[in-house]
Amino acid sequence: MLVVKDMAKQYGDFTALKDINLEFTNGLYGLLAPNGAGKTTLIKMLATLIAPTKGEVLYNGKNILSMDDQYRELLGYLPQQFGYYKNYSPKQYLLYLAALKGISKKEAALKIDELLEKVALSQVVNKKMKKFSGGMIQRVGIAQALLNDPKILILDEPTAGLDPKERARFRHLLSELARDRLVIISTHIVSDIESIANEIIMIKNQQILYKDSVEKICELLEGHVYETSIGYEQLGVFRKQYVLLSEKQEQGNMIVRFIHKGNPENEWRPVSPQLEDVFLYEYRDEIDGEA
Amino acid sequence: MRIFYNECKKAFTSPIFIALLLLFAAFNIFVIVNSSDHKEELKVASELVEKYGRTITDQSLRQFEQDFQVELAELKKITGREYSSVYDFLDGLNHEDHELYDENEWLFINQLQLKEMYVSMAKDIDGNYARIDFKKFAEAEIEKYGLGGAAAKTLQHEYEEFSKRFEEMKQNGEHKEWFFAGKAYFMHSLLYRSVFMHIIIEALLLMVLSTALITNYEFENRTHLVAYATTRGRSLMKDKLAASLTMATSITIFLLAVTLGTFFVVFDYSTMWGTSISSAFNWEYQYPYVSWWDLSVGTFLVGVIVVVYVVMLLFSGLTFALSTLVKNSYITFFLMSSFFVIALLIPSFMLTSSNLLFITTHNLSSLVLNPHQLFMGSSGLTMFKTFELMTIGCWTMITMLFCIFSLKRFNKKDIQ
Amino acid sequence: MRILWNEIKKILTWKVLLLLILINSVLYFFVIEFHIEHFPNGRPALDSYKIATQMVDKYGIDMDEDEILDFKNVYDAEVKKADRYLQSRKEFVEAGIGSYDKFANYSWENEEQSALHDKVFFEEQVDLFFELQERSRLITFHENRKVYPYPSNATAKQKLRYEELNTAKHYRVYTELIIDNFREFISDVAIAILFSVVLVISPAILKDRSRQLLGLQYTAKKGRQLYLTKIAAGMISTFVVITALLIVYFSIYSLNKTSLFFDVPIHTFIGNYAWYNPTFFQYILLCVAAIYVLGFVFGLFAMAFSSIVSSMVALLGIQIPLVAGMLIFGLKPLLSFIIGIWYPQWLVPTSYSVMLIVSVLFVVYLTTREKRRDIVN
Repeated sequence: MLVVKDMAKQYGDFTALKDINLEFTNGLYGLLAPNGAGKTTLIKMLATLIAPTKGEVLYNGKNILSMDDQYRELLGYLPQQFGYYKNYSPKQYLLYLAALKGISKKEAALKIDELLEKVALSQVVNKKMKKFSGGMIQRVGIAQALLNDPKILILDEPTAGLDPKERARFRHLLSELARDRLVIISTHIVSDIESIANEIIMIKNQQILYKDSVEKICELLEGHVYETSIGYEQLGVFRKQYVLLSEKQEQGNMIVRFIHKGNPENEWRPVSPQLEDVFLYEYRDEIDGEA
Repeated sequence: MRIFYNECKKAFTSPIFIALLLLFAAFNIFVIVNSSDHKEELKVASELVEKYGRTITDQSLRQFEQDFQVELAELKKITGREYSSVYDFLDGLNHEDHELYDENEWLFINQLQLKEMYVSMAKDIDGNYARIDFKKFAEAEIEKYGLGGAAAKTLQHEYEEFSKRFEEMKQNGEHKEWFFAGKAYFMHSLLYRSVFMHIIIEALLLMVLSTALITNYEFENRTHLVAYATTRGRSLMKDKLAASLTMATSITIFLLAVTLGTFFVVFDYSTMWGTSISSAFNWEYQYPYVSWWDLSVGTFLVGVIVVVYVVMLLFSGLTFALSTLVKNSYITFFLMSSFFVIALLIPSFMLTSSNLLFITTHNLSSLVLNPHQLFMGSSGLTMFKTFELMTIGCWTMITMLFCIFSLKRFNKKDIQ
Repeated sequence: MRILWNEIKKILTWKVLLLLILINSVLYFFVIEFHIEHFPNGRPALDSYKIATQMVDKYGIDMDEDEILDFKNVYDAEVKKADRYLQSRKEFVEAGIGSYDKFANYSWENEEQSALHDKVFFEEQVDLFFELQERSRLITFHENRKVYPYPSNATAKQKLRYEELNTAKHYRVYTELIIDNFREFISDVAIAILFSVVLVISPAILKDRSRQLLGLQYTAKKGRQLYLTKIAAGMISTFVVITALLIVYFSIYSLNKTSLFFDVPIHTFIGNYAWYNPTFFQYILLCVAAIYVLGFVFGLFAMAFSSIVSSMVALLGIQIPLVAGMLIFGLKPLLSFIIGIWYPQWLVPTSYSVMLIVSVLFVVYLTTREKRRDIVN
């Protein structure tokens, strides 16, 4: 069990995270927040790359920094951006990392073939990586994270650069992996984790906002999400009055999805809230600000 | 213009760059101050120019000798004995005799000794110059480098030309002008072989670093995808070239200004600017420095500065072109260093009987490493009258072609 | 082990090795070749070398009084030979230089004598006369042995050392040619090796950093220990580079055929006052050891800077003054004249210790820093 206790990270005057308390057991956790909310900072602290200014992370009661290599032995980590040697093939690259992970050469060779098969790179095992597309590099990254059969798998924006087919395959792979281990995925793409995450963690204002199952989080907006059809000319007024979640055209009219916490009007059709709705609702200021 | 300025900024805001520039400047000042023991003695030559005029005529020399004899009589008053030469007096001196005379007297004696040196040197000019035969010098050079065939003929022919110039010079008395005694002070060597050499090496190092930095900046900071997809696009390389040349200019100007500024503050050349660089006093080793043209000390200095500056620009252009191809400033640095030395080595691999030898000596490294021999006919294998012009001309062409080639290639290359 | 091997492979790549060969070839032809190609350099250096080999053959590693007497006898015999040679040639007798004594003290201003003198040395290159010149030079050195020319500004310690050499009868008898040549050679080899080490080692750590590999490396089991492994890989690479280059350069040096003098104590070479009395071979070993230390110090510094700076240009820039300073000020006292008496006895051990300690401490500091550092990028 991985426990984050009273953790905070400060860069000079700037607070990246504060008062973080979390508990992870086996299963898949989705870390959901807009860019710049502190996801990567939290993840890097879980990966021992950054030391917390305050608090600590415990694995089975022991501080992960003092566990040192015993902790990292259990860890699989895919950074948001990671380096590779242009003139190495995926096989050479994985062999190199296998050495760092303390896996014997023989064992690594078998494992590497298996993993490259799994991420559909068996055709290019010995090709130099400098010719690879972004998606291929990303898949090599996923393979390296799985090399040591980690008990704790931490993936920072793993689906970046993957096409829809690869994404689907990846989701499948993840839910399989999460059966007997702890998987933490940071993302800002809701659909990546909505269907597979056991729990969702949302960060807002440097703090944990929610940590709960998708259903529980969606319940928070139960009865407040509606859809209705309006004319184009009404759209401007509508936007000002309600929190608009989405809008799409249909037969000359607009179908809008929005949140309202008072009495509904008759023509409004109540719908069941989705994770995306919560995301858009909670981060509406930041999202509007960005736009 | 803004793009250009931003490119320049990449180099001159780099702390290591500023630090090196200051360190080099400080080192040069140290070198100059450290070799300035004799700067007071140099004033004697300046006094001679002021008193007897720059040109040594029979009449002015006679006047100088008479004045010297008068002063020699002063020596008699001090010492109580008559000497025909200050050297006789000094040779006869015992260690403990030094205390017999006070500081002022010693100052006088030393001045007198220096004047005697200049008198005797001036009187010997005609005799010494009559003995110089540049055709023989050519023979010696040919033997020294083991030249034969066409190469020997070329060198002989060029030295015949130069002998004519030398005879002309002896006729018009260009060499009969006062300058700091070369064999005593080696001022030409100090300025050009030591001080200029430091400036050149330092400027080259900084120039290669800054050019490589500017050229590869986008690739090494991973901004290449963004930068080369902008409106300016790959033409950005042209701004980088302009910025590199500007930085080379600034570096050269800065080092020249600081170092030469110090040099001429420490050593007073104010009376010497008009003296011919081929002055008989500018004679340090076996042969005097004899220039192909009637250049004054000032003009020669300007000439050397121009050559050094142009060579810096050419090297910057070459570094730029190489950098654009290699896209790695580390490797560029070592390749440029090798290129610099290889250019010096190639002549020694050439057949000594072929004119190819002289073609290969026309390289930028040889040009810039011998600033004291620029425009001189007394400089061995690089003595050709057109050496500077040909070298710069050819290498300007080569540099331009290389730059155009690498820019063209870069325009077509995939940027990943 | 496997990790170490991987790190070494990352340092000694083909590209770097090619560049290394290029730089060394350039430096070889630029500075080193001369000491091999032109040894002994013309005459009388050649004769000096020939006589020295004969002396070592005949007298062994040192000369006692009897042997010196013998050497003088040989000289006298050779003078007689020269006398006969001169006597037999009419023009010499007519010019008034019919004996070697007169020939050697010929008048510079007498054009006839001067021309004949030049003829013997430059046109005919008669071996005998070159040899005689060298022999007489060596004898003069021996005869002047008591008049120890130590300079007036010698320190008390230096004077003591002169006296020590004197009482031990460590006289100067062999030509300085051999050791001077070695000195110039080894100092230029050191230049080539220092450049090579800096070239090979510098990029090592910066490369992984700028490629954002640390995130992966430091979260693997090996973790931040890897930094030490990288340092170790750098040290091993330094060792490999130095050793390989020394093997190459010393194989070339063997062409100078100086092995005959390996057992000769260095104080018997003319003008070679040193604080200690090693043999020539021991002296060579000492220089080799010094080169290793210098190489390791520069390797450590290169890695330290590689851990700090942000770009390759800065990495080069920061090392330029260090390397240049070593070449301009350091190599002479620290290598060419490593135990020379003109430098204080404490200078060399102190300098080497300080350099080693500073470079090691620098790296130790960086290692502990690396353990605690936030890996932000």
